[in-house]
Amino acid sequence: MFAIALCLMASVSIHAQEPAQMQTLIGQSLSKLQQPTPEAFLNCIAELKRIDAMFPDSIQPKYQMALQSLNFSVMNPHAEQTENLLADAEQTVSKMEQMKSADPSDVCTLSGFLYMVRIVQNPAQNGQRYYLNVMQNFEKALKLNPNNELAKQLQQKFFEGMKQQMQK
Amino acid sequence: MLLAALSAKSQTTVTGLVTNGREPLAGANVFIIGTIDGCLTDSLGRFSFETSKQGELTLRVTFIGFDDYTLTTNQPRDLLIVMHERATSIDEVVVTASTYSFGKSDNFKTMDALDVVMTGNSCGDVVAALQALPGTQKVGENGKLYVRGGESDECQTFINGMHVLIPYSTNVEGQTQRGRFSPFLFKGINFSLGGYGGEYGQALSSVLPMETTDVATGDKLGVSASLVDWNFGGTKACQNSSLSFNADYTSMGLYNALFPDRCDWTRPYRKLSGEAQYKAGLSSVSVLKSYVGYDLTSVGQQTDGRCLSFKEHNVYANATVKTSIGRGYSLFSGIANSSVFNDVDDAQVLGDHYYNFRNEVHLKAELRKVFSSALKMSAGVEDYIRNSKTRYEAYQYHVDYNLLAVHLDAQWRIVPRLFLNLSDRAEHLSYANEWTLMPRATLSYVPNKWFQLSAMLGRYSQTAEDEYIARSGKHLPQSTADHAILSLQYNTAKTLLRIEPYYKRYHRLPLLADGIYSANGHGTSQGFDVFFESRSLVKNLTTTVSYSFNDSKRRYLDYTSLRTPDYASRHNLRLTAKYAVGKFIFGLAESYASSRRCPVGTTPYYNSLDANLTWLVSPKVIVYTSLNNISGRTNIFRYNADGTPVTATRDRFFYIGIFVSLKNNKAYDISNF
Repeated sequence: MFAIALCLMASVSIHAQEPAQMQTLIGQSLSKLQQPTPEAFLNCIAELKRIDAMFPDSIQPKYQMALQSLNFSVMNPHAEQTENLLADAEQTVSKMEQMKSADPSDVCTLSGFLYMVRIVQNPAQNGQRYYLNVMQNFEKALKLNPNNELAKQLQQKFFEGMKQQMQK
Repeated sequence: MLLAALSAKSQTTVTGLVTNGREPLAGANVFIIGTIDGCLTDSLGRFSFETSKQGELTLRVTFIGFDDYTLTTNQPRDLLIVMHERATSIDEVVVTASTYSFGKSDNFKTMDALDVVMTGNSCGDVVAALQALPGTQKVGENGKLYVRGGESDECQTFINGMHVLIPYSTNVEGQTQRGRFSPFLFKGINFSLGGYGGEYGQALSSVLPMETTDVATGDKLGVSASLVDWNFGGTKACQNSSLSFNADYTSMGLYNALFPDRCDWTRPYRKLSGEAQYKAGLSSVSVLKSYVGYDLTSVGQQTDGRCLSFKEHNVYANATVKTSIGRGYSLFSGIANSSVFNDVDDAQVLGDHYYNFRNEVHLKAELRKVFSSALKMSAGVEDYIRNSKTRYEAYQYHVDYNLLAVHLDAQWRIVPRLFLNLSDRAEHLSYANEWTLMPRATLSYVPNKWFQLSAMLGRYSQTAEDEYIARSGKHLPQSTADHAILSLQYNTAKTLLRIEPYYKRYHRLPLLADGIYSANGHGTSQGFDVFFESRSLVKNLTTTVSYSFNDSKRRYLDYTSLRTPDYASRHNLRLTAKYAVGKFIFGLAESYASSRRCPVGTTPYYNSLDANLTWLVSPKVIVYTSLNNISGRTNIFRYNADGTPVTATRDRFFYIGIFVSLKNNKAYDISNF
């Protein structure tokens, strides 16, 4: 699971229609994750929230906020900040669902990732409960956009994780 | 250097402390609006950062679970910021009083359908699984749901909000009548034991609303087989829609041959079922769900010198559309049709024939609006169009009537942590030309996510059975029941405790006196339910304790004086344990019910110890097996008028089934839907 987060850090897609200033700020903020310490993640997420407050109608800060919160959570599933970050990510994904400019494939990917983190937190209890949600969300994300690299990577990692669990 | 010095001079330092009024808040996000200048508070709630902004600054502080704090100041040093906890939005709070929810219809739930199905002796039956919950009574001779001292037909089933007229398949006495629907059809099952809102009616005791799964995202194909049933089904997923089918054949023939029982079968229990679902996202804000199911059930036994034979055709179909129409409004509309044909040969005497046909069309529309984080409302109208025909030798009747209902619901956050649900439902019964008004209220105190305290009051109504309506000359008005329920719940990640005392008073129950049915019956039912679930005793072990005390008395049908109904037992206790280790999940369930009083005597207590085992053989194969009533005790459910005991036709029941996914990349998904 740790590897998932690392591979995701490179997945910074910049939407051309978003303001250049915002893209620069997001880029600067994400660049701080080159040293992916928990503190760096928390500061980055806080900065992304500030950028979101500057551009409340934009999708990109919300997407990155949710994604980095989930990245932090999957690497630190039992950290004291994790529950708050997951609650925040869930709210952000709900907000994105209501926004017409949100890419439905991205929304499904984040939803699937959210359930995946829940499984990482407690595989014995949540695995059985949420694995279908994970897979259905990734499947839907790829059906809506077959080129969604993040969904592909997460789906791949999830299958690998399940396979490992079953071999135990 | 000069430039650098000038730049340094133009920075403003912002410092301060963030608390919740009692203690510092660590990790709050403090920043200047319109910039990314800011920081997170440290472990002591302190913050300090520099900004290039000069003069008047607008500062914002955010922290999950607290209202955002905004401050405009010229003196940005040593600020003391007190954050206020965010009041729970009306949309976030789910009042759980008197309701047990399974599945994922409301965020993250503590249990799902798979959990309950693998607990105890359910053998994959929703109704049997729900009988592990408090408030339900063990009535072994038919296995139906009896809730808090009410008759089984006082509990009504709804699929996607639409009523199901007959949710059980027919069977002979002493054999469990299974629910018609697989739990894996549903993403959410909400079992309300009383005190429900205005949306639901025609149920004196409880409602079982179930929500089918969403549009499938992938193709599926699966088969399952056991000693008693064989199933084949699949799903074809398209871009924004999915079509599913399922065919099932159940027969007790093989089982009866392998494990003979006390019954002299002329035709073993057989059921042939076919189901189909079509679900589509009509647009980004509209969803269509439709379902059609057909069952043909037959069974026959030799009894009292005659060949008692049942045959039933049961067709149920529904279609619903949910759509968001902007400005916070959403619209729900639906139509459902239930048709049930029953033929019974040698029903009472050799050579007679009983025929019954029942039909119901249910139409429903509801408008919902979220006005603010403190208020949401819904208003709806629905119509039940019912007719039935019965012929038995020279006797016959034909009943048809219409029941129109309107309801208005408001959910209001009075003050933070205190919520009031108010609803009113009015129903007009065509043949009696009578309106029944049913106000309902629930007051809930929700101080945090672990604790809930609720008080519920409400009136509920239900028409009498068609036969009683016919035999009263269409003079029976609706029966009503007043519920008063108190609910206390404590729920953490590993523990759930719920205690619910209740009191119900029944009015206008059908009463048979001097061969005439009137509405002079009445009764009461009172008691309390306790449910405790723990996941903390041993890793991977889930245990539950479910206890119900019920004191029920009623004067109705042929009870000419107040007495305890013969289906009611005062004490019901269930203990369950589920333990997962590797690829195996073990389940144990102990059920106890105290004696039941019949006119000719009192039964001994009921006791059954059941065990089950689920083996996750491979990601595409699951084996499930269970043995009910391990000790083989002969439980007597009640006595007939001649004093003969009514028991199950066999003391133990062994089940083994295998579920195989043929075309499905989802491991352990035994649902073909």
